[in-house]
Amino acid sequence: MYRGREGQWAYYLHRVSGVALALYLLLHIFDISLVMFGPDGPFNAFLFFYHQWPFRIGLVLIMAAVVYHALNGLRIILMDFTSWGVRYQRFMWYAVLVLVTAIGIPVLVKVVPEIFGGA
Amino acid sequence: MAASTRPRTYSQARDTFSTNRELGWWVFMRVSGLFLVFLVGAHVFFNNILVDAGTIDYAYVAERLAKPWVKIFDSFLLGFALLHGVNGLRYSIEDYFRRPSTRFWLKTALFVVAGALFVVGVMTLWAFSFEEMGDAIRNLTPPQ
Repeated sequence: MYRGREGQWAYYLHRVSGVALALYLLLHIFDISLVMFGPDGPFNAFLFFYHQWPFRIGLVLIMAAVVYHALNGLRIILMDFTSWGVRYQRFMWYAVLVLVTAIGIPVLVKVVPEIFGGA
Repeated sequence: MAASTRPRTYSQARDTFSTNRELGWWVFMRVSGLFLVFLVGAHVFFNNILVDAGTIDYAYVAERLAKPWVKIFDSFLLGFALLHGVNGLRYSIEDYFRRPSTRFWLKTALFVVAGALFVVGVMTLWAFSFEEMGDAIRNLTPPQ
């Protein structure tokens, strides 16, 4: 399939990021739902556990997955519903990678000091 | 459906899927995906970029959930993201697991967990008065 070229990597990354996001979504609905137990419930203890730096780095990876999956998803929509999308799919994949980097760098500049600068 | 026969255009998709239901899911993934670009993009921007995610606590979430527009926005987010994500996991299960019994039990477990989390999510958004809870937490920790 796709003879190991860009399209195969685009598909593979879309699948991996999608599965990661879906599993994170299930966990995220559960942890936010703990607010139902009120201010004295388990919510803060649970969330503060996830404020430790390994999980914060995981959250950065989740954000990267969001940006890639969203932009490559737009590429898929253009491929599926326009007459020219398939012709430019390789160019669009490189555009996706450039945009992920362009969005990712300022996010890293903002978030990394928060992870390692705090208490 | 094996990955090698994944359709690439709407007309190919119409020829590929044996049932209207699978064609419907194929279209739904694209339409909901377009909405989710904006819904998830805004959600991540407001809760991870404008604020330090490491400072989020009960008071922050209770204050957010006290706002009606957050309840409405998050309801669309919950519905579209769950359907899109669970259908994507279903595609993955059908691609990577061959044995019919394995596929059946994995999908059953997925749908049960997702259905339960949908109920829990709707309850979180709509069944509680976080105005009162927000006041309660403020009264517990009076400003210094």
